[in-house]
Amino acid sequence: MEGTQVTRIPGGAIPAVDEVDLTPVRTYWQLVRQRFVRHRLAVIAFFLMAILVTAAIAIPLLSGDAWKETSLERINQPASLTAPLGYDSLGINTFARLMKGLQTSLFIGFAAVLVIVFIGVTVGSTAGYFGGWVDNALMRVVDIVLSIPTFFLILMLVAFWGTGNVWVIIIAIGLTGWTTAARLVRAEFLSLREADFVQAAKALGAGDRRVVMRHMIPSAMAPVVVAATLGIADSVVVEAALSFLGFGITPPEASLGNMLTKAQDYFYRNPLLAWYPGITLVLVVLAASFLGDGLRDALDPRQRVETN
Amino acid sequence: METTNPGAQPAAAPAAGETLLRVENLVKHFEIRGGLLGISTIGAVRAVDGVSFSVRKGETLGLVGESGCGKTTLGKVILRLIPATSGKVTVKNRVLFDIPTEEERKAGRRATVLDAGEMKKARRDLQVVFQDPYASLNPRMSVGEIVGEGPLVHGLTDKGKREDLVRELLARVGLNQSHIHRYPHEFSGGQRQRIGIARALALNPDFVVCDEPVSALDVSIQSQVLNLLDDLQQELGLTYLFIAHNLAVVEHISDRVGVMYLGMMVELAEVDDIYVRPAHPYTVALLSAVPDPNPRNRRRRVILKGDIPSPANPPSGCRFHTRCWLRERLGNPEQCTTVVPEFREIQPGHAVACHFAEEVTPDTIGAAARTGGPVAS
Repeated sequence: MEGTQVTRIPGGAIPAVDEVDLTPVRTYWQLVRQRFVRHRLAVIAFFLMAILVTAAIAIPLLSGDAWKETSLERINQPASLTAPLGYDSLGINTFARLMKGLQTSLFIGFAAVLVIVFIGVTVGSTAGYFGGWVDNALMRVVDIVLSIPTFFLILMLVAFWGTGNVWVIIIAIGLTGWTTAARLVRAEFLSLREADFVQAAKALGAGDRRVVMRHMIPSAMAPVVVAATLGIADSVVVEAALSFLGFGITPPEASLGNMLTKAQDYFYRNPLLAWYPGITLVLVVLAASFLGDGLRDALDPRQRVETN
Repeated sequence: METTNPGAQPAAAPAAGETLLRVENLVKHFEIRGGLLGISTIGAVRAVDGVSFSVRKGETLGLVGESGCGKTTLGKVILRLIPATSGKVTVKNRVLFDIPTEEERKAGRRATVLDAGEMKKARRDLQVVFQDPYASLNPRMSVGEIVGEGPLVHGLTDKGKREDLVRELLARVGLNQSHIHRYPHEFSGGQRQRIGIARALALNPDFVVCDEPVSALDVSIQSQVLNLLDDLQQELGLTYLFIAHNLAVVEHISDRVGVMYLGMMVELAEVDDIYVRPAHPYTVALLSAVPDPNPRNRRRRVILKGDIPSPANPPSGCRFHTRCWLRERLGNPEQCTTVVPEFREIQPGHAVACHFAEEVTPDTIGAAARTGGPVAS
């Protein structure tokens, strides 16, 4: 051993750990949470979204059919304890109907985003991983979908498959909205494919599926999660627009869009009827947007968090 | 230059070891696509252009050259991380691939490439340590998962056994075993590189491609990692292909050194031989660029003119002729621009690709070298 010691580079003799590191173990998600919490607007947005979702689930459950029960006696009654926003021109409890509408809109928003993420990740990862002509073909499909005016395509799909059906609206939004997610995932995959840790996994003998599922998709998901969160806002707005035009959810079913349509008729007599769904819609969109911004920062593993 | 060579491992000294890796006429051209649809090929970057060498069991072959000379590409092609254009690579008598050139294909020779299952087995013997320890570890996996991935992929599904193995490997590379559940971002560069080395060792390979394993580290950490690689080689009988651009590092760790220029091997010899008696004009210039720690020494440098030519359009004949100081001294012989020099042995174990290698003498070098203090450029 003495003999080899002589031939060592001076200074290199320290054998083991080069630094003593006493920071507590923190997983990736703990770090994400720490970074997210620093983003105050995002935290507010998170709680706002939580309140909206809870209300949209709980209130229609608790109030039963109040959202569609008409009554001649209650027409245009003012606010009370059981009806905080009063009654509309058909004698329907406005608050109950608003929450039911919010439920429909949020459901469509989240479900459409799931469709978008599923199609987008599948197409984008296939294109980015295999490259070459596969990539070329898939990206031309993306270009074609992008070149079609989205809203009119949705209108056409809904008109074709039948208006008023929640699932038709979800599929229509999903089929037209996946292009951004696909492009993001493809771009991530193109750079990840050359990343050293992906190459290392291949050198270890990991198969395509393991490399894609274990190494590439988790690393490519950050921008997709952000895009998806922002996509919730988009989908809710598209649904509202469809319903407003009469192609989406039609009465007696409730949605934020058809509540706006109806409020139009009483705009001068009772403008508040338009404000309620309008403000709710704005809150949903703002919450989703700020949540997306916060996640964008939090999901970037290169951002350091101070320890204290 | 110091005459003692700190890198010579006693274990690797016998020259007649069996060949572990054999590379024959390896070519990697990256096609440049263009045209209306981006489908037609309008040229090729000749990153690796006909490289042959072999590595003996237990030795370290250093590979040096400027940025862009193809040394990293060469490593990746050997590992089959990128497909070769043509050539043959054999590891432990197992042919990883044997791809014919365009002419050979026309003559009817078929390519043989190890299928996925066999290649997976071959990868147990063939591992890699990457340059950048920040990019080579998946930030979303714990140290245990990273180091244990190889064994898992190769069928060690028992979680407890895998963890024992990982702990053993961590200890072996000088890391605290309790770090097994930590994530890469919690480690320093040197520690991360140790994790990368542990991952490579997890499959108990015979041959490790070290792709500039210390270039991204602090100088103070470099020596630790080099000594670790050195120790592991002696303990485990590893064979290294050590790719680097730091000539001092290569001198320290290598038994033999290959010099690459524009995708071709220009000189290959024992480390003592090449550092003392370089026979290729490019090696001479490269070695004269090694910084001397003593500022009082008058440095004699051979300064090359111009930039490295584009590998998409390499010079004819000898690729180095556009910048060669020797060619100038010899009155620009025509041979240099027209004939590709053969990679020939000028003495046993010392191969060089230069028509006039015999003219590289202390006299001609001295005449070409500028003497002086700090040299610009």
